[in-house]
Amino acid sequence: MKILVLNCGSSSIKYQLFKMGDRSVIAKGGIEKLGMKGSFLKHVRQDGQVVVFEGEILDHKIGVEYILGVLTSKKHGCIEKLEELDAVGHRVVHGGEHFNSSVLLTDDVLEEITKCIDIAPLHNPPNLKGIQAMEELIPGIPQVGVFDTAFHQTMEPKAYMYGIPYALYKKYGIRRYGFHGTSHRYVTKRACELLGVDYNTQKIISCHLGNGASVTAVKNGKSFDTSMGFTPIEGLVMGTRCGDLDVGVVQYIMEKEEIGIRSSNTLFNKHAGMLGISGISSDMREIEMAKANGNERAKLALDIYNYKVKKYIGSYIAAIGGLDILVFTGGIGENAGTTREGVCSELDCLGISLDYEKNISFRSEGLISTPESKVKIMVVPTDEELMIALDTEEIVFAKKKL
Amino acid sequence: MPSEVIYEPIEKFGLVEKKRSKSLFSKIGIIGCGLVGQNIARVASFYGIEVVFIEVNEDKIREAYRNIEKILDERIEHWGMTSGDKRAILSRIKGTLDYQNLKGCDFVIEAIRAVDRGGKIKERKEIFHKIEEVVDKDCIIATHSTTIVITEISSDLKNRERCVSLHFFVNHQEARIVEVVRGLYTTDESYQKVCKFVTLINRKIIPVQESAGLVSVRIFVVLLNESCEILMEGISNIEDIDRTMKIGFGMRLGPFELADKMGLDKILRWMDNIYNEFGDIRYKPNPYLRKLVRAKHLGIEAGVGFYKYDEKGNRIVSEIVKC
Repeated sequence: MKILVLNCGSSSIKYQLFKMGDRSVIAKGGIEKLGMKGSFLKHVRQDGQVVVFEGEILDHKIGVEYILGVLTSKKHGCIEKLEELDAVGHRVVHGGEHFNSSVLLTDDVLEEITKCIDIAPLHNPPNLKGIQAMEELIPGIPQVGVFDTAFHQTMEPKAYMYGIPYALYKKYGIRRYGFHGTSHRYVTKRACELLGVDYNTQKIISCHLGNGASVTAVKNGKSFDTSMGFTPIEGLVMGTRCGDLDVGVVQYIMEKEEIGIRSSNTLFNKHAGMLGISGISSDMREIEMAKANGNERAKLALDIYNYKVKKYIGSYIAAIGGLDILVFTGGIGENAGTTREGVCSELDCLGISLDYEKNISFRSEGLISTPESKVKIMVVPTDEELMIALDTEEIVFAKKKL
Repeated sequence: MPSEVIYEPIEKFGLVEKKRSKSLFSKIGIIGCGLVGQNIARVASFYGIEVVFIEVNEDKIREAYRNIEKILDERIEHWGMTSGDKRAILSRIKGTLDYQNLKGCDFVIEAIRAVDRGGKIKERKEIFHKIEEVVDKDCIIATHSTTIVITEISSDLKNRERCVSLHFFVNHQEARIVEVVRGLYTTDESYQKVCKFVTLINRKIIPVQESAGLVSVRIFVVLLNESCEILMEGISNIEDIDRTMKIGFGMRLGPFELADKMGLDKILRWMDNIYNEFGDIRYKPNPYLRKLVRAKHLGIEAGVGFYKYDEKGNRIVSEIVKC
């Protein structure tokens, strides 16, 4: 079975083609600057050769067409004809309250996703465009939607409701939805697989630390709480996002700086976070380099970052009544030993004992806690695309059996 | 592992082979880089389009750059963009004296300043001729004039079917609409192309039939005339009239504040043109407005109009100019 995984953003489309038998990736790549000047498609062949296709890519349909064209081309492709594709899996950012798992995309489902545009105006429209383009290009191909929010639909009202008038929840669906669901689901499951324990009996906290970052508490195989909320700005301090913030600050800044909604949106999403605090960069490596050179604000930014993660871990241990496994993933979680150290240090009282020596240069998949540590600390590289492909395979396979 | 990246043109790799098309609106031209020209240049460049603007002398070119930079700096200061964005935007804007630099433009708009207008229609026609000599046959030629009709300006051109009139709103950064006017000769194809450009720079299109003053200017001049009338009759004062419209009707700026921002000389000229076109007394410039323009009280840029302003263009509060 060959499954194509698509992740359509507003000006980008990322893709990976999986051969499901051995879960191998036979081609991957992405389109950037879609609909803009200088658009291009970067394709990585199975042999590792990178091919860049330059030219005008006006919209998602043309973009998807080129992806299919490249995959089937004699020169750089890896399949002979489109019929070899068995299904397509799509990352869909927002499934609202309607979707608690991945689903086969039917007209009814698409209608529901369309309804979610209101709460995800930036993300759902391009997701939908990709789905429609695929249906037009290969009519009838089974397509599956995998939602960023679905995993967190198991949260209880006490975890997802805000302290605002209930009427606003009813009227606009304002509540915490959480994101990175596919990643948290993948890494927590994978951690249990590696440890040989039953997913449905474990208390796990996973820290997805990338450019966007979130922490999720998983109890007995279900997401119990997560740090992102109605939008991905809530929670941890991120690359350029501020994370949790007193709403009074927002009002005060808007008044003092005489800015409106648009600019304040840019301020809290693009100028804030690690970039805003350090004044250096949103890139962890550059900030760490600056800290090594004695930059005080770089040190402050890193301290704040780690402290925030640490606080979330502590509060989630209280929320789910203990902890068995702590997982790190995402670009920073997988690679930054210093960040993991900063987060885990002095948590021995909670049964979290990091093997400092092993941790600092650890870059793969596995255990980084001491043998005595009550809590297993793991690094698990995330693979959202594989998760999407696996969900797609499962759903399409189930459909075929019917 | 092979290290060299292979580059290919993408057109061969569609499911159906595509013709390599020149990407539309990769370069546009602007004649006259005053307030309006600067605004169009900045916005187009922000959306990745190369901009060439033509000015009458080096000083004016420098002034245009200075003003564009000033606005971008303000945006950065107020968290609207990053300094990286600013560098990218400025790198795409090129000022020049020579019309030859318009070669290769997909779209050229004439936006000469009110004060430079002198010969009005005659001068605009000359500019259109000069543009047509340089650009390709399918390049859209537009005017930013709101009170002079495009059919008249374009009537002498060889390919007048590609001419339209556009009106940008430069008074507020969130006023993301453009009035688009087709002339008698304008073809559907040209009109659609212009709409594509407007969409590309993230503006909404307000289609308008050819008529002096379009929608916006025609309504605004009557509003300002009536406001001046109320003022002259001693019914209320400038600040209270503005306040009434702002608070009472939810306008961002009152009629006098708006007029000062746009430039009173420009508005006076609009009124003269529309009055000439329709002959309706409603459009006849109010004597108070004419008086201010004669005294060179032209608005924010002059430091004084209906209100007084400091060098930075901030209003000096509660000091209303008595006439």
